[in-house]
Amino acid sequence: MQGSLTPLSVLGPQADDERHRIREQFAAGVGARETLHALCELADNNIRQIFGEMLRVHNAPPAGLCLLALGGYGRKLLFPYSDLDILFLFGHDKAEQEFRPLIADFSRTLWDLGFRVSSAGRTLEECKRIEEDNAEFHLALLDRRFLAGDSELFERLDARVLPASEKTARPFLLAQLHKLTKERLARYGNTIFHLEPNVKDAPGGLRDYQASAWLRQIRGEKKEPLSSSAAEEELAFGAVDFLSAIRCFLHYSNARNDNTLTYELQAAAAERSLGVADRVPRNAAEWMRLYFRHARTLNRQLLRYLEQKTPVPQTLRQRFISAARSAKSAPGVGKPFAVRDGLFEVLDVKELSDRAVLFSLFTEAARKGVPLSRRTERSISYVMKHPELPTRNADVNWPVLREILISDYPGVALRPLQRLGLLTEILPEFSRIDSLVVRDFYHRYTVDEHSLRTIEHLQELADSADPRDTHFKELWKTVERRDLLILSLLLHDVGKGMPVDNHVSGSLEALEGAAARLNLTAEEKSEVHFLIGRHLDMSATMQRRDIFDPATVSAFAATVGTQERLQRLCLLTYADIHAVNPEALTPWKAEMLWQLYVATSNHFSRTLDTDRLHAHDEVSVLEQVRAQAGRPATEDVERFLEGFPRRYLAVHSAAEVAAHFALHQKLCAEPVQTELHARGHSFSLTLLTADRPALFATIAGVLAGWGMNIVKADAFANAAGVVLDTFHFRDLHRTLELNPSEIERFLGSLRDVVNGKAPLEPLLKGRESASRARVPKVSVETSTGFDDGSSAHSTLLEIVAQDRPGLLYDIGSTLARLACNIEVALIDTEGQKVIDVFYLTEQGKKLGEEKQESLRQALRAALV
Amino acid sequence: MMKLEAIIQPSRFESVKDALREVGIEGMTVTEVRGHGRQKGHTEVYRGREYTVDLLPKLKLEMVLPDKLVNTVVDTILKTAKTGKIGDGKIFLSRVEEAIRIRNEERGENAL
Repeated sequence: MQGSLTPLSVLGPQADDERHRIREQFAAGVGARETLHALCELADNNIRQIFGEMLRVHNAPPAGLCLLALGGYGRKLLFPYSDLDILFLFGHDKAEQEFRPLIADFSRTLWDLGFRVSSAGRTLEECKRIEEDNAEFHLALLDRRFLAGDSELFERLDARVLPASEKTARPFLLAQLHKLTKERLARYGNTIFHLEPNVKDAPGGLRDYQASAWLRQIRGEKKEPLSSSAAEEELAFGAVDFLSAIRCFLHYSNARNDNTLTYELQAAAAERSLGVADRVPRNAAEWMRLYFRHARTLNRQLLRYLEQKTPVPQTLRQRFISAARSAKSAPGVGKPFAVRDGLFEVLDVKELSDRAVLFSLFTEAARKGVPLSRRTERSISYVMKHPELPTRNADVNWPVLREILISDYPGVALRPLQRLGLLTEILPEFSRIDSLVVRDFYHRYTVDEHSLRTIEHLQELADSADPRDTHFKELWKTVERRDLLILSLLLHDVGKGMPVDNHVSGSLEALEGAAARLNLTAEEKSEVHFLIGRHLDMSATMQRRDIFDPATVSAFAATVGTQERLQRLCLLTYADIHAVNPEALTPWKAEMLWQLYVATSNHFSRTLDTDRLHAHDEVSVLEQVRAQAGRPATEDVERFLEGFPRRYLAVHSAAEVAAHFALHQKLCAEPVQTELHARGHSFSLTLLTADRPALFATIAGVLAGWGMNIVKADAFANAAGVVLDTFHFRDLHRTLELNPSEIERFLGSLRDVVNGKAPLEPLLKGRESASRARVPKVSVETSTGFDDGSSAHSTLLEIVAQDRPGLLYDIGSTLARLACNIEVALIDTEGQKVIDVFYLTEQGKKLGEEKQESLRQALRAALV
Repeated sequence: MMKLEAIIQPSRFESVKDALREVGIEGMTVTEVRGHGRQKGHTEVYRGREYTVDLLPKLKLEMVLPDKLVNTVVDTILKTAKTGKIGDGKIFLSRVEEAIRIRNEERGENAL
């Protein structure tokens, strides 16, 4: 070594003083951008000085070696404790050997001065090659900046070598950047809404902005349709400033390169209103909302770029295929949107100012599970703000929202609705939890994110291969009133954003306003009220009670009331636990939840006839029914209700009971009373009459004869022997739907057969051949089981079998043939599987063993 | 120092945890486990399908205690985890040679 370096004892304190000065200025309010530039300048000056001195000391000419700044340092955005990414570029292989001692001295000196150097060395020749296992290096090279040394060498790299190799490597770099970005976003659950976010790497962090810039750079975009507007660029610029200020603050506070915005540092940043021009101290929750707003800007921009397809020249064949696909995805007449490449695209932006049209787009998305493209969201956002496109049909009511919530993929619509601010237009209550951070040990996401995730976890059940989901999948497919379940999930935690001691009571208070505004019926509101009010019950029971103790199950069943509610509450609990954090729903918890569900479900079906109504004690019910029925004599209503299983009240509203009572009062004039209601493509039939042999089988036979497929049924009898049967069925041939005049003929036929005025057999004959010809999609094994222990009065028969038209008639007529009396029947269908439970007696007593065996054989023969 | 492992009913966990806090135990490791001893499982039939629950859900508590606290903690768990039914669980004790706090390298009972 010749000559001597400026001593570290001089350079070290100079660098420290400068670092201290920059830090003081940042603390005094100097912006992040200036701070980062100052830190960069400090590093640049030191590097240039030391490199110059090293060349002098080593007596080496700079030809053949130059220094490049890469990555964030290359962009002149150097955070206080970030590494200095430096590339030593050599003109040829020999230069690498020659400069090795110089580089070692240089790097050591920088370390001693407190700079964290992360260096790499490449020859010019090596820079031409694409390192397929090191895409990060090539991405960092995109931000190259000359620091010191052989400037001609840098020119050759910058102007000749890299532009050529980057052009060739464009598809590789794009694919790798997509892959790396998607992996990074997935590591953070694809959401910006973390309670303690990483401001660099999490979705919405600074890395998102950088990835957008790289995508744009690699594609060589200058001006193209998807580039951000000036307003969007300004928003992104502001977001980068805000997040940069936080990252500087985190580095200074932690004295290391730690980018996690912890609760403690959120409070400290909010106190000094970090990144906000007015400098007015805020509470942490308020300041975090600003953070999420900025993070959303950066994340939205990145997702739009990720979605964008790179124009690639197509062959003639590819163009033919593409044209054919476009034709296939052509919209239906009058629809201003269509599915293209698996995303909804807008064809006529102006049409979206009509809210009816706009919401029909969201409904389609929820039905098909096809997301809106980012471009579509951007168009909607534009329409919502554009003064020349005034909103038409702005009144979005419950039936419109319901269509979305009842679909198979409600989350696919609710996400963009939330991002666009439309969700809070319909449900202003949801704004209380917008980006709300509630600190607790378990939750990982903000309250609104948690709520939307619950819904997404449910919709994902349909296609889930996760063993934890096996049982819940079936529940999701068959749950009734899915709309009310989803509405409950949207509202279940809004109380967390209200000034109340208990968030559940806050959420219930919010429901009052939402129910009134949406015009929910009393029954709908009551169901949502139950689900919100009890949303922690199932979880608490399974974790704090002995779920294998019948008393626990019985007490829990009493709070739930019906099988239908149990199903909704179980799914809500599953989703609520699942959305706490990715690890929250352990297989252990999933199993406990399922065990409690099964035990309670079985409790419902096995205790039906032990829990009968004593109408005289039901003061409130009597009063409600009388009020609905025009105030008839209390004794008459009592006589009607006396002896029905309690489930009867649990599954029918007061209005429905009043309607049944009205039918009951007409029995003297006409011994078979019927009522039919259409529900979409399904129908619901209520039939009241005096009990008689084979009644259930007869009704089932008439329905089968008319081509109706029964999916659900209840059969109850009161103490006076009046039978009330409810059948829900699908009109397979749309006979009643397309020919309204047939409804009266159908009901007349039903009454005649039940009254014995017309035979059943001719009706059934025509249907036999058609039904036997159909091949089922899935095969369900038939099983029959008897249970003598659950009921004091009856033998329970459970039948699980393959669904087919006329099945219930076959079962019912077999039971009638063997003189079994149906006390209660519960008929249910899950896809192609029927699950029927009958409470049977023979001459008022349980079935003997011999009878059970002959019934088993007869059913086996009938159900083959 | 002794290591205590207790297998208890999940339903008793909150009571056990509260009672341990009252006797000065703040830290423990809790693991969701499944198993059975003399309490065999049972078979549940749901919608025509049999579910055999042969491994029952339990919670395992683990803690390392200074010798002087061992009896108190054992008594506390016995008192609060007991329902008198088969399946209440078990407590295992074993000797621990050393404990080291990673943050400051404290050793022995000071590290607990």
